Amino acid sequence: MNTRSIKLVVAPTGFQPGGYIAKAYADRNTALTGKADVGVDTANGFVISLRWKCQHPMIDASDNPRQFIDACALLVPEKADAPWITMGAPGLPVAGVLWRADKTQPMAIRAEGLGSVQRSEAPNNWKAESNYADGYWRVTFTLPQWAPLAEHRQFAIAVWQGAQSERAGLKSISEGWLPL
Amino acid sequence: MGISRQLTPPKHQVAMVLDLNKCLGCHTCTVACKTLWNRDQGTDYAYWNNVETAPGKGYPKMWSATGSRTETGEVKRGEIPDVDQDYGRSWKFNHDKTFFKSNGPREWLKPEGNPQWGPNWDEDRGEGEYPQDNHYFYLPRLCNHCTHPACLDACPRSAIDKRQEDGIVLVNQDKCHGYRFCVEACPYKKVYFDPKRQVATKCIFCLPRMEEGTAPACARQCPGRLRFVGYLDDENGPIWKLVHKWKVAIPLHPEFDLGPNVFYVPPMSPQAIGPDGQPTGEPRIPMSYLESLFGPAVRDALAIVEAERAKKKAGQPSELMDILIAYDWNNNFHIDPAVHREVI
Repeated sequence: MNTRSIKLVVAPTGFQPGGYIAKAYADRNTALTGKADVGVDTANGFVISLRWKCQHPMIDASDNPRQFIDACALLVPEKADAPWITMGAPGLPVAGVLWRADKTQPMAIRAEGLGSVQRSEAPNNWKAESNYADGYWRVTFTLPQWAPLAEHRQFAIAVWQGAQSERAGLKSISEGWLPL
Repeated sequence: MGISRQLTPPKHQVAMVLDLNKCLGCHTCTVACKTLWNRDQGTDYAYWNNVETAPGKGYPKMWSATGSRTETGEVKRGEIPDVDQDYGRSWKFNHDKTFFKSNGPREWLKPEGNPQWGPNWDEDRGEGEYPQDNHYFYLPRLCNHCTHPACLDACPRSAIDKRQEDGIVLVNQDKCHGYRFCVEACPYKKVYFDPKRQVATKCIFCLPRMEEGTAPACARQCPGRLRFVGYLDDENGPIWKLVHKWKVAIPLHPEFDLGPNVFYVPPMSPQAIGPDGQPTGEPRIPMSYLESLFGPAVRDALAIVEAERAKKKAGQPSELMDILIAYDWNNNFHIDPAVHREVI
């Protein structure tokens, strides 16, 4: 597996849908997850692992509305020109796979712009194995087939630190599409 | 305008008026709402309707300071209340040790754990010193179905709608991903999060009842007949008369600039007692406190109510007093009598 360290940046809140987030989080200018180690193995489908530092893992948020859970996602373009920073655009969809610390199965996502994310069950043979140790999350996605990734051979990543109330557009993201 | 997202105004805006001079703090409204809509796990701490003692910290604790609006209506980052510190978990009691223990000493009935707050934690405390100026009143609260809803503006998924036909603000739980920006943003803290189902929930103004011409459960069940329900533009209904004609029903925290559509007839109060044991001429509930809740319009509203009450007391007719007295509670609700009208 090829492993590299990827710089993550704060997802800009200025163009989040609605009027509240852009104003209320205008001061959000530092990525809470500054980097992630990304491993890729394409020998048999796609195996992509993410590893990032997380001081306070949030695995269960089932009893307090103030708690959010840790999560990460891979995003791939379904069309070549799909922008990663807005999760696609109308007519330029992106697809993805989402891991949440409180779920055993990953979820498939699809979007054509911010606020348009649709979640659905991932294919049965998609797996996301996770492990928290020594202050780091390691999540390994095993994706035997994923047509848009096979076609465009690039992906983006996003990480949410639940303990820091990250969710939705409050996240750390790669600086652009990453080559496989 | 309180939000940046442009909304098409509804054809009619449904509204509620609550006469705080008549609320006896019985919580029947809360129980009616709770038993109808929020009995599942995950909604145990969710009170779409609650009645709090004012002055007091309210429910959730210090709610008015944790929303997304400053005192001048500017957007600021709100807070999500904590289930222990701000809402208070629903209590579990030691029933086993109290009622069913077969040997050994039994315990007194008490809540298990260490509750730190709850919906009525500071009930009937109020402020002031007895007998000089002790005071409190009850403040029933529900979603204001705002003209410019902060919750709607906060949702990045457009999962909150304001209905065109009646202005009721609803969460589309099929679209909601449980991000809770709505909970964070609402300065009235009347959007809740269901952690079991991972979606936001809020008052639906008893939509299925309204569509049948029946008032929401909180209003219909009120023994004090203090709630009025209808449309803001219905000149034959009590809402228009109390809000626009008589101008005695005013919104809570108008400074948030969201256009709340729940209105209150502010509470009158007896005079404070001075050191000489004589009435001071000043109301027990400080005007400054009422202004902090209802804005400067509270002075005129109270003056009108007091003047009309004096007229009625003197045997003169008063349309306003006749409405507020609610001789026939059917008249409190002017929803759509062509569809349905309740009878005693």
